[in-house]
Amino acid sequence: MTTLALTGFLGLSAALLGVGVFGILTRRNFILLLIAVEVAMNAAILNFVYFAAFPPNGGSGLSGQAIAVVLIGFAATEVAVGLAIVLALNRLKGTINVAQATDLKL
Amino acid sequence: MGLGVAIAFGEMLSPGTYTNVQITWLHLPPAPGVFPNGFSLVMGTLVDPLSSLMLVVVTVVGFLVMLYSIGYMHTEHGLPRYYAELSLFLAAMTGLVLANNLLEFFLFWELVGVCSYFLIGFYYEKPSAASAAKEAFLVTRVGDIMFLLGIFLFFYAYATAGPNGGWAANGFVFAHNGSPFLAGVMGRNTPLLTVAGLMILGGAAGKSAQFPLHVWLPDAMEGPTTVSALIHAATMVAAGVYLLAVTSVFIGFTPTDQLAIVAVGGFTTLFAASMAVVHPDIKRVIAYSTISQLGYMVLAVGAGFAMVGLYHLFTHAFFKALLFLAAGSVIHALGTQDLFKMGGLKKHMRVTAAAFAIGGLALAGIPPFAGFWSKDDILGSVYSTLGSHPLYWPFFLMAFAAVFLTAYYIFRAWFLAFSGDHIRDPTLPPPHEGPWVMQVPLVILSGFAIVAGLFVFAPGFASLLSGAGIPPTYTPTDLGLSAISVGLGAGGIGLAWSLWGNGRVYVLPDDSALQPLRRLLLNRYYFKVAYDAFGLRVVYTVARGADFFDRFVIDGTVHGFERMFGAASDRLRRMQSGVVSDYAAYVIAGLLAIFVLLLIVGPYVVARLGGA
Repeated sequence: MTTLALTGFLGLSAALLGVGVFGILTRRNFILLLIAVEVAMNAAILNFVYFAAFPPNGGSGLSGQAIAVVLIGFAATEVAVGLAIVLALNRLKGTINVAQATDLKL
Repeated sequence: MGLGVAIAFGEMLSPGTYTNVQITWLHLPPAPGVFPNGFSLVMGTLVDPLSSLMLVVVTVVGFLVMLYSIGYMHTEHGLPRYYAELSLFLAAMTGLVLANNLLEFFLFWELVGVCSYFLIGFYYEKPSAASAAKEAFLVTRVGDIMFLLGIFLFFYAYATAGPNGGWAANGFVFAHNGSPFLAGVMGRNTPLLTVAGLMILGGAAGKSAQFPLHVWLPDAMEGPTTVSALIHAATMVAAGVYLLAVTSVFIGFTPTDQLAIVAVGGFTTLFAASMAVVHPDIKRVIAYSTISQLGYMVLAVGAGFAMVGLYHLFTHAFFKALLFLAAGSVIHALGTQDLFKMGGLKKHMRVTAAAFAIGGLALAGIPPFAGFWSKDDILGSVYSTLGSHPLYWPFFLMAFAAVFLTAYYIFRAWFLAFSGDHIRDPTLPPPHEGPWVMQVPLVILSGFAIVAGLFVFAPGFASLLSGAGIPPTYTPTDLGLSAISVGLGAGGIGLAWSLWGNGRVYVLPDDSALQPLRRLLLNRYYFKVAYDAFGLRVVYTVARGADFFDRFVIDGTVHGFERMFGAASDRLRRMQSGVVSDYAAYVIAGLLAIFVLLLIVGPYVVARLGGA
């Protein structure tokens, strides 16, 4: 494949990141917020996969694939922790609206 | 006490010895331009004729006053404080007398000063006592600062003088190998040394209450009478004279300094004596008398007769302590210090009356009492210098005239307090003699007041006095002068008797030409008023200016910064909303900022890496 194809793929992941960031900034529902974070993170993982497919300087691209797999694992743990927080928040406040969880305010 | 007397006896057996024991506290390497041969700080003791004489005074009078205090102070509160301060004072005074260098001298000098402050303010609940203590401290402080400046100037002027690499390298000690360290360079006459000597004179004037720093001593009478006897008559105030004597024997004054010292001393004798003439307070009369007598000593030291001055210091310490303790006995019995309320006490207090009379005779210079020998020796010695120093004349005459006033005021006090047949104020309690612990010191001091002057004829004592400087001597001129001064003294006593004797009270007529003079004297020549005005106007204005600067400029700057950061952080803390989305926004804003930075810095980095 060509560099042009790589540019297109990178454009896709940039768009995904944009969607994720937009979601992070606008969502007030904690679960939707988590999903937005996942979207943004997957944009990053996709980047590793692209570069594994088009390895620069003639590399094998295996390290990119390995890092992508590790990152998927990270994403899973992150969601696990995130969902645990959602449950705790719901129990504490009776809501999962993050705008109402302002206990850290000075 | 025993040790002090023993040391003095040892000194008598081998006259003129300088026994020096010292340790080096600190030694600094040579500093070019400042101390070319290095600089030492030493602490040590030096026993020489001057210090052994002082040692006798300090220890004997100190012991007797301590004994007397047991009786005099037994009804007071805060006795542990009193004895602790008195002991500290005695320790400091002994240290001062035995100091072997100027810095150590200054150290103990300050210590006795602070003890004096404590003890004047012993009745600190009384506002007048507290303010008298403050006044004494502040006025002597003026002298202390001058003394310190004088030390610095002497150190600077003499840093490399003397043997063994100079005075600085040897810790500024007074004596070395049995002679004054600066023996080879004494008598130098430079403007710098003159100024240094004047500064030393200022320090001595502060401590010894000489004109114009005399104002504190009469007010210091707010302290217990025992303190007045020990500190403000016999020992601490004599430290100023001792300083002058030590300086003149070991360091040397220039002729201009000597004239200044003679002027201060001579003027003070008459000046202080005149104020004592009208005062109604028994203790203050004696306080003025102390100032006046210290003036004689200063006069003698200034004229170059350090040992003669110290000899008068020696006799004065005994009879002045005696006068104070006798006055204390009266105050203890009656609870008042007002002479005009007393009267007829000699029937009730025979020991005290006799003691006061002996002290008075010694003070008035009637032979054979102690004051006669030493005071006439001063007058005779100064008289012998008049030929070569005509400028001394007026001050000699002042000191001579003061003899008359001295005899008058002290017997005015005696007649007012002790003669007559009844107490003038009937509300006072019936007088009684104090307990034996108060009477014994009176008797012992009376003995000293009678015979201390005769010591000069004892061979050991005479050689002690001759150890450093010119010894007291009696010449035919002295005898002639003595006759005149004894006549003056007797005349003063006679005048006192004719005005106040036998219970009489002399009231100056209202239309008398002397009334303005009397008011002037009662108001102490308006010196206190002037000093207060000076303090209020000048010092207070300066202090207010400094306060303004401190408050608004220095504190203003500090508080300005404080307010600036306070306001900034107040704004900043509003960012802490607690809402997760806001924090996420900050994170993303930060990320964007990093991206922007990378886009700007990135090209350079890529270029540096070779366009990978």
